[in-house]
Amino acid sequence: MNLVRLVLVFAKIGAVVFGGGFVMIPFIQREVVQHYGWLTQQQFVDAIALGQITPGPILISATFIGYKVQGVTGAAVATLSVFLPSFLMTAVATGQMLRLRRDPRVAGFIRGVLPAVVAMLLMAAVTIARSTLWFDWRLLLLACAALILLVRFKVDAVYVVIGAGAAGFFLEH
Amino acid sequence: MEADTGHSPDSTGVWPPVSLLELMAVMLKVGATGFGMGMVGVLQQEVVTRRSWMSQEELADGIALANLLPGPIAVDAAVFVGYKLRGWSGATLCLLALLLPAFTIMLGLTIAYLRYGQVPQLHGVFRGLNAAVVALVLSVAYRIGKSSLKSAAQATLALLALAAAALHANLVVLVVACGLLGALFLRPKPKTVTP
Repeated sequence: MNLVRLVLVFAKIGAVVFGGGFVMIPFIQREVVQHYGWLTQQQFVDAIALGQITPGPILISATFIGYKVQGVTGAAVATLSVFLPSFLMTAVATGQMLRLRRDPRVAGFIRGVLPAVVAMLLMAAVTIARSTLWFDWRLLLLACAALILLVRFKVDAVYVVIGAGAAGFFLEH
Repeated sequence: MEADTGHSPDSTGVWPPVSLLELMAVMLKVGATGFGMGMVGVLQQEVVTRRSWMSQEELADGIALANLLPGPIAVDAAVFVGYKLRGWSGATLCLLALLLPAFTIMLGLTIAYLRYGQVPQLHGVFRGLNAAVVALVLSVAYRIGKSSLKSAAQATLALLALAAAALHANLVVLVVACGLLGALFLRPKPKTVTP
């Protein structure tokens, strides 16, 4: 039963992650953490961090969630389900590419989706910050520093995540 | 069934076909050495620069297509490469090979995390990671916002979506509704569309 739910939840998320893997964060938070309670908010945030220091797409955090729900089988099922919709769409669309790229309705659809994506990511950032960083000024400062490194200095995300982990370790000791 | 690979023959008239084994080896490498968006760079280096399996323009088309479709851009682009070169079997192989390194490492990290994550010595590390994740999500919002919120209409749409998300609207419905609004009202002018 859990496996069926995993397939449905992750295939649904995989079908709407326009704009890259990070867009899954608000969906996963809503479905997996708040609705099904498959993992805690803390575990969810840690899963994203682990996905970032793992090579490959950030969407691989699905592996963590699947494992938590149903072991190795669950990990494989969740991972395949989350990539299946975009895989099918890409393979089919490759044959239709010129037509798709010229279609102004397709371009318009994406122009409409991306503002929603920005809004959902902002909401997700606020939710995560509220549950994990609130009222800890050192962590808030760390988050600000990380944001500046990412946006202003274009530091690779892998190094920012590793650096923040190290900084957290020294803050506690 | 032979897929249309889109390969144009060179002066001698023949392109050597790409074997599935080679394709798999390249995608394993891309999946093991590229992080997030960095995978696109590795993919381009392997497929275009190093092996000339397709031209830069062809791959750029694939990346543009990946931008239109859901899913990570690098994964979609890899599936595009696989389909172009070897049809459905190539596409399937590319997806699985690309994901295998990440899946294996993530599985190992997950098991280690669930076993040792509660160790008090690691508590600070995860607090630090929380801060990084918040920053990462904001940086992605910034990056997408900078390139997509170019008109008053799009900015308005973002504000409406923010209000809807704050009021716990269904996110799938929200994304599709915004896309449909875009398809109706935000179509590009025909002359600005690149052929």
